[in-house]
Amino acid sequence: MNWTVIRALLARDLGMIRRSRALMLPMLFLPTLLLVVLPAAIGLSARERTLDVETFVNMLPESIAEPVLSAPPEERLIILVLGYMVAPLFLIVPLMVSSVLAADTFAGEKERKTLETLLHLPVSDRDLYVAKLLSTFVPSTAVAWVGFVVFCVVSNVVCWPVMGRVFIPTRTWMLVIFWLAPAVAALGLGVMVRVSLRVENTQEAQQLGGAVVLPMVVVAVGQTTGLLLAGPVVTVVVGLVVWLIAGTLNWRGMRAYRRNTMAARL
Amino acid sequence: MSDPVLSCEGLTRHFPSGTALDGLTLDARAGEVLALLGPNGAGKTTTMRLLNGVLSPDAGTATVLGLNPWRQGEELRARTGVLTENAGLDERLTALENLTFVARVRGMDPEAARPRAMELLERFGMAHRADVRVQGFSTGQRKRVALARALLHDPELLFLDEPTSGLDPVATRDVVELIGSLAAEHGRTVVLCTHFLGEAGRLASRMAVLFSGHLHAFGTPEELAGELWSGVEVRLDLGHQADGDLLRTLTGLTHVVQCVPVEQGLLARVTSRDAVPSLVAACVAAGKSVYAAEPRQPSLEDVYFEIEARSARLGPTGDLPGVHR
Repeated sequence: MNWTVIRALLARDLGMIRRSRALMLPMLFLPTLLLVVLPAAIGLSARERTLDVETFVNMLPESIAEPVLSAPPEERLIILVLGYMVAPLFLIVPLMVSSVLAADTFAGEKERKTLETLLHLPVSDRDLYVAKLLSTFVPSTAVAWVGFVVFCVVSNVVCWPVMGRVFIPTRTWMLVIFWLAPAVAALGLGVMVRVSLRVENTQEAQQLGGAVVLPMVVVAVGQTTGLLLAGPVVTVVVGLVVWLIAGTLNWRGMRAYRRNTMAARL
Repeated sequence: MSDPVLSCEGLTRHFPSGTALDGLTLDARAGEVLALLGPNGAGKTTTMRLLNGVLSPDAGTATVLGLNPWRQGEELRARTGVLTENAGLDERLTALENLTFVARVRGMDPEAARPRAMELLERFGMAHRADVRVQGFSTGQRKRVALARALLHDPELLFLDEPTSGLDPVATRDVVELIGSLAAEHGRTVVLCTHFLGEAGRLASRMAVLFSGHLHAFGTPEELAGELWSGVEVRLDLGHQADGDLLRTLTGLTHVVQCVPVEQGLLARVTSRDAVPSLVAACVAAGKSVYAAEPRQPSLEDVYFEIEARSARLGPTGDLPGVHR
């Protein structure tokens, strides 16, 4: 692989993402809402004791209810929402960001009529594909990680009067963010880059890709809270499985990508 | 004669929508401008993509700069420059960024790339907009930046797809002169896909005329004209349109092939330039005043439209000039 070429393509793509409002807004809006506004609101509610969660917690399975109810009453809202219920959002964010960006990779180049120029450059098929994967993977993972740091800071600061200690991140949280979230991002782009290759424009890629990615979002939402309860070992294993699927999808995509096929669709 | 820089034989490419190119055989020599002429959908851009190793053929062979375009595509593309029909610039980048990005991909030293990019932007009158995003550029400005980008690494072979479309007359003249000088002074080979016959006539030493993926003619305009028509066309200015008696008299002469009346006289086709004096003498003998007699070489337009007309009559397998089946 020619890393000089890949770095050049990556730098150009990241620069263009930075300058595109259509890409930057969804990348920033959802994470801000989920990872800053939500923890701040929960923290403030807990301080005011305006929400009573016991009734709700008692309706949950014992495995979830038990760790929440074992905490002092004033901490229960925070532990329930910020400690467990917010967790799926950290998988939705990279999945969503990678989907938005991956839809723009090849379909966006086609739409902007820049793909042919790229194909006429001395870049191998593999280098071009890898650069496109990285230009999606790097920002989506970065958004998830930066978002998590911001989430931890906001949550601990806002909840300090109630909790009196740094309560996140825990070891399992760290695994979810630094092991599982990138795997989910890779999974999303493994699907979306291949969709982007086959369609004419970004809108089509997003619509078609959404049909594939949405069920993945549902699964992520359904399972992540469970992972936090199941502990680090299960999180590592689940992460490994997701990485394997994502790796296979991306490897197959790279092997299937041919300049000739792309040029024939111009 | 120098070895061809580019040669292909039987190049064929099908798409689901139909055959884009069928059995193309041609070559180009070093320092030559080869014009690919033909209407939209003729197969010009497909030819360019095939010869630069971007598309693979369904049949046929090619050697470009001594390389196989489909097995050694990367190596080939490092030595060629391409201007696509749509300038293909990244709108969110500035003109200079568009050039320096390509310079980085082509492995140019960043220290050398920037001054080289600025030099080319200067040459195409775009230096003042080097740091402006391409988004607001006119078609002509985009084309100029894209041309600068194609020349950045001083390529040995240039594929130019409609290089002057969208340019104003001054920019068109500049680009045509530049293409001419690249070939004549710098020995670069240029494959020029164009609709503009005037531009091709000024630049191209040989032309390949394509219709619906078939090569219908290949050679210099003079060679093609020689195969299309025998003899020389002469325009006689008689001050009025030639009458039927005069036309019959002239058509009866040994060296006259054909005579047709025009507004101020007649157009005659004679077997050679030597027949022109006897043609004039015959007119004078018939009591006509001859104000001018002008032997006329067929223009590229004449050749092109004649080929087009004959192609329509004969079909793709008809006997056409310069194409030896």
